[in-house]
Amino acid sequence: MSGLLVLELFLAIASAAVIVMLAVALYGSNRPAPQSEVSAKGYAIRRYWFWTILIVAAIGFAISIPRFPYGSAQTIGKHYTIVAQQYSFAAPPTIPADRPVVFDVTSRDVNHGFAIYDPDGKLVAQVQAMPDYINHLPFTFHTRGHYTVRCLEYCGIAHAAMQGGFDVR
Amino acid sequence: MSAISIEADAFAPATAADLRVARRIMWTYISTGLAIFFLMMLLGIAMRAEQAGWVTFDPGWFYALLSLHGVGMITAMAIAGLGTLWYLVRRETPLDPRIAYLAYGFFVAGALCVIIAVFPGKFGSLWTMLYPLPFVGTYWPSWATGVWLVGNALVMTGFMVWCAQILGALIARFGGILGMLGIGYVFNIRGYEEAHREPPSPQMFAAAITAIDGIIGSTFGLAAGIGMLVHWIDPSVAIDPLWAKNLIYQFGHTFANLTMYMAVAGVYVGLPLCTKREYHTSKPLAIAWWGTLLFVIIAYFHHLYMDFAQAETVQFIGEIASYLAAIPVVVVTVFSGAMLVHRSGMRWSLGSMFLYAGMIGWVVGGTAAVLDATIPINLDLHNTLWVPGHFHTYLLQGVLLFTMGWVFVTLEQRSATITSLAMRWLIGGTIFGGAAMFLLSFYIAGANGVPRRYAVEPAPGPELATVATIGALILLAGIIIAAIEALRLARLPKAQEAAA
Ligand code: HEM
Ligand SMILES: [Cu+2]
Repeated sequence: MSGLLVLELFLAIASAAVIVMLAVALYGSNRPAPQSEVSAKGYAIRRYWFWTILIVAAIGFAISIPRFPYGSAQTIGKHYTIVAQQYSFAAPPTIPADRPVVFDVTSRDVNHGFAIYDPDGKLVAQVQAMPDYINHLPFTFHTRGHYTVRCLEYCGIAHAAMQGGFDVR
Repeated sequence: MSAISIEADAFAPATAADLRVARRIMWTYISTGLAIFFLMMLLGIAMRAEQAGWVTFDPGWFYALLSLHGVGMITAMAIAGLGTLWYLVRRETPLDPRIAYLAYGFFVAGALCVIIAVFPGKFGSLWTMLYPLPFVGTYWPSWATGVWLVGNALVMTGFMVWCAQILGALIARFGGILGMLGIGYVFNIRGYEEAHREPPSPQMFAAAITAIDGIIGSTFGLAAGIGMLVHWIDPSVAIDPLWAKNLIYQFGHTFANLTMYMAVAGVYVGLPLCTKREYHTSKPLAIAWWGTLLFVIIAYFHHLYMDFAQAETVQFIGEIASYLAAIPVVVVTVFSGAMLVHRSGMRWSLGSMFLYAGMIGWVVGGTAAVLDATIPINLDLHNTLWVPGHFHTYLLQGVLLFTMGWVFVTLEQRSATITSLAMRWLIGGTIFGGAAMFLLSFYIAGANGVPRRYAVEPAPGPELATVATIGALILLAGIIIAAIEALRLARLPKAQEAAA
């Protein structure tokens, strides 16, 4: 799910939460009522409220499962080896478009991140680059052009300058 | 205040002198925590200003400050929260004050080591110090790594001492673990009612969960820390990087997350004082806390979502655990908190305002967290500025506000005075307005893929950092004014009928 979409969803939920919380606190605040009266109503609402939250969370969870990004050494697609090290990436210069590929990502020294930004600068996928391990990231590119790779795990003094890239043709 | 009553009890109730000692311990912890918070806030502003391009310093210093800011802030919030909880537990059961000072000594010693590692050591492996980073390609001397590791181990040891004391006291007080966790109550509510027995008060759940998960978390943290210390002494001893990551994030996530569960005790005790209503332990509250107890310690798997080498089942469990650790307690506590305030005729003093706003911050920060804890979303947000966006909301507009709310409620009750309306608007406006600018910039940058922990950020990072820095300066002004107001209230004479 794209970051900007998540931002919109988040801002919608957050503003709703702020408005509801303020309304609960302020509505009727000039007409105090005994706690027992407020609780009786509150407990009735609370039951529905719990179930609503639970169901929404369960739906979100179910939707997310088929979208897990995890690949393995056996994942179908052409495999490309990516080796990260302080402070550069060894990556192939070109990757084919519209075909499943798998990045086999590792590191020569410390933990790094391998994050792919599309030609518009949008973050489209990432995986950690770890010493002693290979992480398999499956991906299919549909947009052609030059992609930038950035390190997304703090790795030392030049972390922010650690970049690479490839062309998708 | 029947929820915190200790009358019908085998234990000798705390005397006025006991409570005076306990209050002194609480204020020692809280003032230390808030003082560290203040210094760390200045470092935070310096870093954000650097990212905005207002000032330039060497990236090595940027990461050294970031290391100190990260560990310092979490520890600051923890110290304040632990002090409050210690006092609240002391109201209900005997505790030896010397142990509280022992734990405090460990915290102070640990903080000093960490500061020395950064000034002059320039240690810059961040508070997550993922192995083998603190040893490979470093720009700081090796001694700084050692001192940093020792400092962290001291803080964890202090935390363990605190947890062990509280756990022992609560088990004794409630006749075992089942009583302490309200298990006996939930499965035998009728029996409790017939015997006129009260279940543990909500704040005792906060203390119990902090103590149990704190011991578990510190064990993991110490395992990682000692492992790295051994490697520091003898580099031929190798550690598995994935194991190290698991241990470190288990500790880091648990410790950071628990600061919220410590601070929330301020809501359980403070809001009833403001609303003149009672906050009782209910069945949903107890069950929600069990969820937190179980799931906080494994929710950390979400920090390893992008480690595809980790078994996929673990990732799956991580997503469930993240949901279940966060949602129930927030839903129950915030719902009951809002119900407490609704039509209570409560006055909006600084104390009640901070407590209520803290609940809003908790929900908002929690929402951002749960979204990011969803794996397909994490693919686009992991290690972007979204992450500091979420946890600064949670910590700055949740944990810190709960702490400040508790401080103000206590001061207001003690002096039977509340701050003038103009002053409340000024403080509320600067703190909430400044924080909103500071936090929104993180979220917007993160949603646009700007990485976190970059001394120099790609676009649109620097523009947003400018907005954030202005927001943080406004927030700083608000915090300073609030601190002055707190000191003024603290110096007023004690009113006749002082609570808390
Ligand atoms: C006005 C107050 C604050 C300011 C200006 C501030 C600023 C910052 C900045 C600029 C970063 C680096 C973000 C990045 O590029 O990755 C950061 C990270 C962090 N902050 Fe704050 N912060 C503030 C309050 C807090 C509070 C209250 C806490 C905790 C209780 C906190 C805990 C942290 C942590 C844990 C990190 C992550 C360190 C790391 O990446 O290793 N901050 N903060
Ligand atoms: Cu890096």
